[in-house]
Amino acid sequence: MQDNNSNPLPRLTIKVSGASGQGINSVGEVIAKSLKEAGFYTFGYREYPSLIKGGYSSHQVDFSDQPLLAPSEKCDIMITLGRAALHQYLPSLDTNGILIHCLPHLNFNAAEQKFITDNNINIIEVPAQEIAVKVGGLAVMTNVVLVGMLWQMLGIELAPIEEIIRKEFAKKPKVIDANIACLQAGYTNAEPVLPKVSISFVPNIALVNDALISGNEAIGLGAITAGVRAYFAYPMTPSSSLLSYLSNVYHESGMLVKQLEDEISVAQATIGAMFMGTRALTGTAGGGFDLMAETVSLSGMTETPFVCIIAQRPGPATGLPTWTSAADLNIAVYSGHGEYTRLVIAASDIETCYTMIQHAFNYAEEFQIPVLVLTEKQIAESLFQVADLPPAVPIQRHLLSNEEAQKVTPHDRFKITESGISARWLPGQSPATYNGNSDEHLEDGSLTEEAATSKAMYDKRIRKEKLLLDKLPQPTLLGFEAAATVFVGWGSVKNTVIDCMIEWNKHNPQAQIAYLHYDYVWPLKTDAFNELVQQQKRLILIEQNAYGQLGNLITQSTGYLFKEKILKYDGRPFFVEEVWAELEKVHTS
Amino acid sequence: MSHCTTCTTNHPTIADYFSENLYTWCTNCGNFGIHSAVKRALVAEAIRPEHAVLCFDIGCNGNGSDKIGGYRFHGLHGRVLSFAAGASCANTNLPVIAFAGDGGTFGEGISHFIHTIRGNYNVTFIFHNNMNYGLTQGQASPTTKMRMHMNTSPDGPTSDTLNAMRLALTMDVSFAARSFSGDVKHMTKTIQAGLQHKGFSFIEIFQACPSYNKETPHEWYQQRVYDVNEKVADYDTSNKLWAHELAEDLEEKIAVGVLYQNKNAIPFMDRQENRQGFTTDLVSEVISYESVAQQLFDRKR
Repeated sequence: MQDNNSNPLPRLTIKVSGASGQGINSVGEVIAKSLKEAGFYTFGYREYPSLIKGGYSSHQVDFSDQPLLAPSEKCDIMITLGRAALHQYLPSLDTNGILIHCLPHLNFNAAEQKFITDNNINIIEVPAQEIAVKVGGLAVMTNVVLVGMLWQMLGIELAPIEEIIRKEFAKKPKVIDANIACLQAGYTNAEPVLPKVSISFVPNIALVNDALISGNEAIGLGAITAGVRAYFAYPMTPSSSLLSYLSNVYHESGMLVKQLEDEISVAQATIGAMFMGTRALTGTAGGGFDLMAETVSLSGMTETPFVCIIAQRPGPATGLPTWTSAADLNIAVYSGHGEYTRLVIAASDIETCYTMIQHAFNYAEEFQIPVLVLTEKQIAESLFQVADLPPAVPIQRHLLSNEEAQKVTPHDRFKITESGISARWLPGQSPATYNGNSDEHLEDGSLTEEAATSKAMYDKRIRKEKLLLDKLPQPTLLGFEAAATVFVGWGSVKNTVIDCMIEWNKHNPQAQIAYLHYDYVWPLKTDAFNELVQQQKRLILIEQNAYGQLGNLITQSTGYLFKEKILKYDGRPFFVEEVWAELEKVHTS
Repeated sequence: MSHCTTCTTNHPTIADYFSENLYTWCTNCGNFGIHSAVKRALVAEAIRPEHAVLCFDIGCNGNGSDKIGGYRFHGLHGRVLSFAAGASCANTNLPVIAFAGDGGTFGEGISHFIHTIRGNYNVTFIFHNNMNYGLTQGQASPTTKMRMHMNTSPDGPTSDTLNAMRLALTMDVSFAARSFSGDVKHMTKTIQAGLQHKGFSFIEIFQACPSYNKETPHEWYQQRVYDVNEKVADYDTSNKLWAHELAEDLEEKIAVGVLYQNKNAIPFMDRQENRQGFTTDLVSEVISYESVAQQLFDRKR
């Protein structure tokens, strides 16, 4: 059936949809895990509203015999548990798509009827609830019956998914048997007859051992590896699942994980713990970060390292709380009063979520600056399939040894140096005590308002940016290096571009493309970009915001004005079909 | 106050806390007495400057951050308690003292005051209550009395006066004491008791502000204060209701001394289930936990 759909990429897409509270996400995860167990690559994409019961939500699983990083817009098969979700998501069915539901007396309006007819949608009502009850299950196990039916349609062996359900319900052994009975009943159900979906992908048994993990979980693991010993946060989607995850594993990690009263105190507790010399982390979304801005400035002034994750969602204000965006680059770069050196990093996938948080602490401690790590809901809460964690980044703290700390004077702490970086030692480590002063200060932290000294200290803090910029890696050129057309972006955009680019370059050897990706966003490295400009490449900016914020930073730093921009800011990520269509448009224009 | 001759530890002296920086407070400012008492208390508790963590809010008290030795942090207005809370979690071996005025504590930072008490962080909080914003030139604060005519409220504040001690006791603070800036000896004793307390200690110091608070100078307090630990027969510091009762009067007879102490209150870090059995502090645990991360990752397979 993948030959008949409109998806330009070789993949099949299954969407589970329903109301919030119907366990949509758990079913989606079970499907993703089971497809992985069957030897496929998967990608899990979640949509859900900012409410607890009702509305509509979905968990979509794309699967293929090639690695996947981004979602399709259209699905081939949809399982629907709720009426609102059915009407909401009906248009997301691809040509020849199959809709399985258990909702009696469905009424479609004229537009829906036309969509169904035009796209040859196969709608099948199944008595899943009755089947569940008949085999001794409960009404809530309807979704398991539907999964059984899905497996019948896909013609995949049932054993692996049985195993997963057993694991899922290990803590509730009483319901395991009923769930398995429901699964089997769905799998063997003969009436109504379900269409067979042929999968042409060749399963790869090696994938069975892969892991399914979200970006926030990878950040959590990265923090653990980096030696982070305290995480302070206040719940705010899409950063909350990081707080939950770190809490859920704090017995294993020994990390202090605390929800405090607001983002202001969270940022302060974090910088307080950092001042004492542990590694402490905080995370929030844009709105919470607004409240932390004063602490970013405090970090810049007192040269106390500070690391904060900004998990982006659309604003302004409360915006679209559970949707995705990459529009907080400007606040990461410009937040906090005054001028000082900072580093802004953007994660994009599991590897970067895991490693960037480790790099963030190394940079924060070496340069004694605030480091802001941007993610997006699309990265934080999507379910990625990976074989392994990347190697750990060695911890580099740049602290004086106890022996060295006996030889310093208080004036060494904020000493004006050529690089702008001064020696750092910790409270309790040396008789040379100092003052981490938010007022302008002398080299030992004593207050000053004297003009020449104030300027010298200001210059010292700003000067750190030069060495930082020297140390930062250039953006990465992915795809066909000699390509005439180069897309430029940051964050989750990378994932959709890569999924499309691999296939595009395979099919269009004469019109291959490349993609320049920024992991380190500010201060901005310009050499690699300027080289592309000199080579007269066609440069196309692609960003998940309306202003083209990275583009503006590039313009500010290089003088180059982007003539072509692809910008999306409706809360949805870039889907593969969209980027593919852009590639076709670019190719013909 | 001199070097200990019978033990090998280096007992601190007042001189160890000396700073060359000149004071910038007004003549007769209560901060002089408080600074002196803080140094005396630290020395009496044998805390050397390199082991003292002094966290200052913004205000006149904070301008003293570079007039004393010790590891100091002079942060943002209203935030000192959150900063000190985080600091106290990271290293439980070093005493953490926070200083803030009535504006920062009960204006900008009142939520932090409430939640720091709830957490019972191991922080000694010296609350400078001079009943106005001194450093910004005498505006009314939440503790300003309504009859006091202030900068920006020339007819006096129109919001009711906040009784800081009453709020602290209501929040079940584990240590609550009072003193006043005209009595260095009493302040020293009180701060020492706070330093000895395990958990959050709230020490309200009524502070003279000769420039902007003409209403309650040292003499005013001198005539009204009485030490509950000395003057109230059988006063029981574990009796919170009694403390409440005595804390009420801010006009006629003003209770000072240790008003309340719950010696059984568990400090914040000791409350952490997942930290039981740890003999180390967060500051000494910064190493790679790659193998832990790997094990957690493997659960995702």
